[in-house]
Amino acid sequence: MLNRKTLPELIEELRDNDNVINWHEIEPQEAKARPIPDSVDDRIRDALVRRGIQELYTHQHSAYEAVNKGENIVAVTPTASGKTMCYNLPVLQAIATDETSRALYIFPTKALAQDQKSELNEIIAEMGVDIKSYTYDGDTSPTIRQAVRKAGHIVITNPDMLHSAILPHHTKWVSLFENLKFIVVDELHTYRGVFGSHVANVIRRLKRICKFYGSDPVFICTSATIANPKELAERLTGNPMRLIDDNGAPRGRKHFVFYNPPIVNQPLNIRKSATVEVNRLARDFLRNKIQTIVFARSRVRVELILSHIQELVRNELGSKSIRGYRGGYLPKQRREIEKGLRDGDILGVVSTNALELGVDIGQLQVCIMTGYPGSIASTWQQAGRAGRRHGEALIVMVAGSTPIDQYIVQNPDYFFDRTPEYARINPENLLILVDHLKCAAYELPFKETEAFGPLDVKDIMEYLVEERVLNRNKDTYYWANLAFPASNVSLRSASQENVVIIDQSVTGDVKIIGEMDRFSAMTLLHDEAIYLHQGVQFQVEKLDWDHRKAYVREVDVEYYTDANLAVHTKVLEIDRTSARKMGTIRYGDVSVTAIPTIYKKIRLSTGENIGSSPIHLPEQELHTSAAWLEISEADPQLGTKTLEQLLLGIANVFNHIVPVLVMCDRSDVHVVSQIKADHTGLPTIFIYDHYPGGIGLADDVYKRFDEVKAAAIDLIRKCPCEDGCPSCISSEIEGMNAKQKSLQLLEGL
Amino acid sequence: MSGLRDRLLRLRSSQAAQAERMAGMVERPAEAAVRDEYAQSNVPAHEHEHDPQAGAEDEAGAMARTADAAELELGTRSTACSAAAPEKAHRAGEASVYNAVDADNEHELPPEWGEIGVRVVASTEGEFLVRESRYPLAHRHGVHQLAELPVVQRALGAFDQAGSVDPDGANLLFLDLETTGLGVGAGNVPFMVGLAYLQEEAFVVEQMLIRHPAEERAMIGYLCAMLPSFTHLVTYNGRTFDWPVLYNRFVLHGFRTFEWEPVHIDLLHPSRSIWRNTLVSCKLSHVEEERLGIMRSDDVPGSLAPAIYFQYLTDGNPEPLLGVFKHNETDMLSLAALAIRFGHFLGGGVGTLVPVPNEAEELLRTGLWLERMGKAELAEPLYARFAEHSGASAKTMCLLAERDKKCGNWNRAVLLWQKAVRASEDAVWPNYDAHIALAMYYEHKTKELERALLLAERAFELADGRHGGLRPQGKRRTELDLIRKRIDRLRLKRSKG
Repeated sequence: MLNRKTLPELIEELRDNDNVINWHEIEPQEAKARPIPDSVDDRIRDALVRRGIQELYTHQHSAYEAVNKGENIVAVTPTASGKTMCYNLPVLQAIATDETSRALYIFPTKALAQDQKSELNEIIAEMGVDIKSYTYDGDTSPTIRQAVRKAGHIVITNPDMLHSAILPHHTKWVSLFENLKFIVVDELHTYRGVFGSHVANVIRRLKRICKFYGSDPVFICTSATIANPKELAERLTGNPMRLIDDNGAPRGRKHFVFYNPPIVNQPLNIRKSATVEVNRLARDFLRNKIQTIVFARSRVRVELILSHIQELVRNELGSKSIRGYRGGYLPKQRREIEKGLRDGDILGVVSTNALELGVDIGQLQVCIMTGYPGSIASTWQQAGRAGRRHGEALIVMVAGSTPIDQYIVQNPDYFFDRTPEYARINPENLLILVDHLKCAAYELPFKETEAFGPLDVKDIMEYLVEERVLNRNKDTYYWANLAFPASNVSLRSASQENVVIIDQSVTGDVKIIGEMDRFSAMTLLHDEAIYLHQGVQFQVEKLDWDHRKAYVREVDVEYYTDANLAVHTKVLEIDRTSARKMGTIRYGDVSVTAIPTIYKKIRLSTGENIGSSPIHLPEQELHTSAAWLEISEADPQLGTKTLEQLLLGIANVFNHIVPVLVMCDRSDVHVVSQIKADHTGLPTIFIYDHYPGGIGLADDVYKRFDEVKAAAIDLIRKCPCEDGCPSCISSEIEGMNAKQKSLQLLEGL
Repeated sequence: MSGLRDRLLRLRSSQAAQAERMAGMVERPAEAAVRDEYAQSNVPAHEHEHDPQAGAEDEAGAMARTADAAELELGTRSTACSAAAPEKAHRAGEASVYNAVDADNEHELPPEWGEIGVRVVASTEGEFLVRESRYPLAHRHGVHQLAELPVVQRALGAFDQAGSVDPDGANLLFLDLETTGLGVGAGNVPFMVGLAYLQEEAFVVEQMLIRHPAEERAMIGYLCAMLPSFTHLVTYNGRTFDWPVLYNRFVLHGFRTFEWEPVHIDLLHPSRSIWRNTLVSCKLSHVEEERLGIMRSDDVPGSLAPAIYFQYLTDGNPEPLLGVFKHNETDMLSLAALAIRFGHFLGGGVGTLVPVPNEAEELLRTGLWLERMGKAELAEPLYARFAEHSGASAKTMCLLAERDKKCGNWNRAVLLWQKAVRASEDAVWPNYDAHIALAMYYEHKTKELERALLLAERAFELADGRHGGLRPQGKRRTELDLIRKRIDRLRLKRSKG
């Protein structure tokens, strides 16, 4: 193409677009730097200078000074601000000073650990010092494991490996634990919800073992911007923290654009699909060879967008230059894509939030989000993927029709002025706590007086004695069971085992193409589901639920599948109650049963339903904590049918608002409504944690109900539709002044 | 806090219910029912199973009595026979002093331990139990007699490839643990440590038991003191299991500076080398039965040991532990018998002290193992027998031929290949390795291109025939391609020549 446009030209063009409803510019920032401290070892200083680093950014400097004083720190920095220096510098300095010092780096994923090792080894090579840094994960070959355990100065691993391989075999790691000076926890903000609650317990176990070997390491954490980095770091590590947030890294000008697709049906407030608009926008940038990342919220959406974009630019670019990226791809495939992006061989990538994390893909020029990513923190993380230190960058958020998307784009202040969300963990979730107490007792006998977090765990230990898992002698509990407890505990998800996806398209060349957690598999990998992988359609021939295997075969069909899940809720115990005008809000334990019912086949081009079939899978039961609203004095004139629809509508709004307010993944908290709740017969809306035993989300909703209510009312009121649309109280409401009635109901609570 | 408990119990029961439901969905109840039934009728079924072996049981009873007698004898000599472990004498002495000072019944064992025949060992670290059984060297365990052990000690020096220990000063320690779990994690506790060694004119089996995990420290301390007087450690799978587990305990109990580097003879490795294809399993219990003539009766399988110990921890009744002690004791004796067997192999006793293996593959593998152990001169007669053996498979013939080729013994290699080629012609699933090897020999060594080509072509037919007309893929495809390349090259050479 001869007349290729530049990014500034395209940005100017976009300014005239009617669908752009808000344009926010982030001013460039000059670097704030300070000289490298005198105490830094000359070899490190020289290595840094050779890499073009003459001074430290302010946050790097503060981190170094604080760690040198023995303080635990949490450094909050945006993407690409040189955060790794916050820990690499003090750690390398300590090892350069005392060769016996050891450090443990914990990254949330293997990919990040690999990246980090390469970067670290480059600096070490420049230093010309014999410092050994190794990754220790499932891919580490048995032959070098011994060397890692005995001689690794810096061991880079992930929480899962720490939990199931290192801690239970701590006797093989004596030289690490005896000399452990630093524990680095990178991407701290990812340790929230269930995963974070598990990791907090893993860290308790880690500290217990350090204590046994006589070490007391300093924690160095880094985090993306969240509302409570200090609190999260303190809860996660159990240590007091100093917050380092004086970011001194420079950045270029950024344009943050909110794009709302045009309305195609005024009364119903139906807008053009965000996906279609994203496809078009991405095409314009890619055609002009501008490196672009597109984020989509679900795996299916990633695949759909990918295939469309590949189609749109097929004649101009090879399909290899535009790739998909999401969980479920095999690691090798992911590494290849990351490298392609860094080298510029890959021009465009369509990704789920998997690329939100600090995986090194270099800095791209344009970031397009398909809908609001679900949280402010997550949005900034994704936005951080675009933007180089110099030159302009463009971030476009294309709103979907969901209530929260519409709310965000129409209230830009909400987004730009608001502090990002809180990251919550609940290490005291009973099931999680019990699992880790077992692991802890396996690792070292547990003294009666020993603390493991704020709860008095003696009661649990006695329970485990009754269960014949532990044995008590005098004041000590000993592991007394054949099992290896860590193998029964998965840190990542409620479901313990993933379903493996097996492609048997070619007889004799059957291969595994991905995996999926069990809960998602219920609705995405049921028999005859259409599963999309790298833009290719597969049909599930058989889901072997018992053995966690889904057998798929490549197909070429003109539809996708969408499954329904029937959910039923039962109250087990009421812990707290607060009376309201027209009803009651309660908090307690509930039992939730879910069963996939049917799936629909939906034509790709028109979106029409072309048939449905039942799904036969076992029911899943979940005991968890919930907050629920009982409406005891609804207007009797409403009628059951109407009330039922109003509840559904309000539940829809909560479903979108709650994850934003409590900062969790959409799948962590669920909202269901029941016109006649089992225990009272009253119209009720349940908001529950989607994890056995709960992780504190419903608790938060109960405590902050007024805030949740206000946000819900605000959302319904500000929605431009006439009387309800998919962007607020959902679309299936007949002409009955539903918006007004919903607001009345809400205000009465 | 009881609220915490209640919630936990509720959560647990819901998970159990869930599991049941899941099981229902996948139609497992039948299997579960069978399992339950088995669990209920387990004991009688066991008895029934052993009925036909009543005779064997009597024999075992007799042996046990012998052991008991030896033990009684030991009672009177226990202090005198501590020469092998001087530290032990020290500890034992300490214990007796301790006992004498406070003559309360704290160290006296309750009567139910009586039948098991254990005594308390106490030190400053605490107490644990020891059961000692003393076998006269005339004792026969299976086909071997313990008296053979001192004889083979020298030959076992071959395991010490670094030559770190003077074989005449060898002092062997046999070790076998019974642990509370699998794997080598920090929570796997060896609740019973079985040791055995030669002492004066006896074979002593010394088994330690901790009545509780809290006693482990004392036991480990005792081990740290006594182990260094031995030069060799003999185990079965000890390299990957017993030793790492024990080493964990030294670390955990603060004996981090403990150092003992014996010559470790893990008999699992040579057993696998020799019997991997001849025996269905290389488990000690199987090897001893098939090759050492040892028949166990009333044996408590090792896999049940943890459950028995946990039961004891819960109810305090030591009686079922006797079965574990006996199982471990038999293991120790079998370990010694197996060491004798390998000692004879290494000492040139095949055909005299131990029978010549019947099976062709075992003959060959014994030879190959001996050669690896630096005893090539002992291997040759076995190879010769193998070459004459009528039951040798094409595959094993190729194995020896390959070895001969490396040593330059072309004559026998060619003979073996030719034999293997003939054998392949009658096989249902023909092996064509010999065809290829022989084709290489004719091509490069004797330059008989015609013969080489014929063999290569036949190999292709055999390989292709295996696929029964199906389009081959992957590995098979490359195999075929390789043969095809060979044929093409030979044809080319022939046309030039």
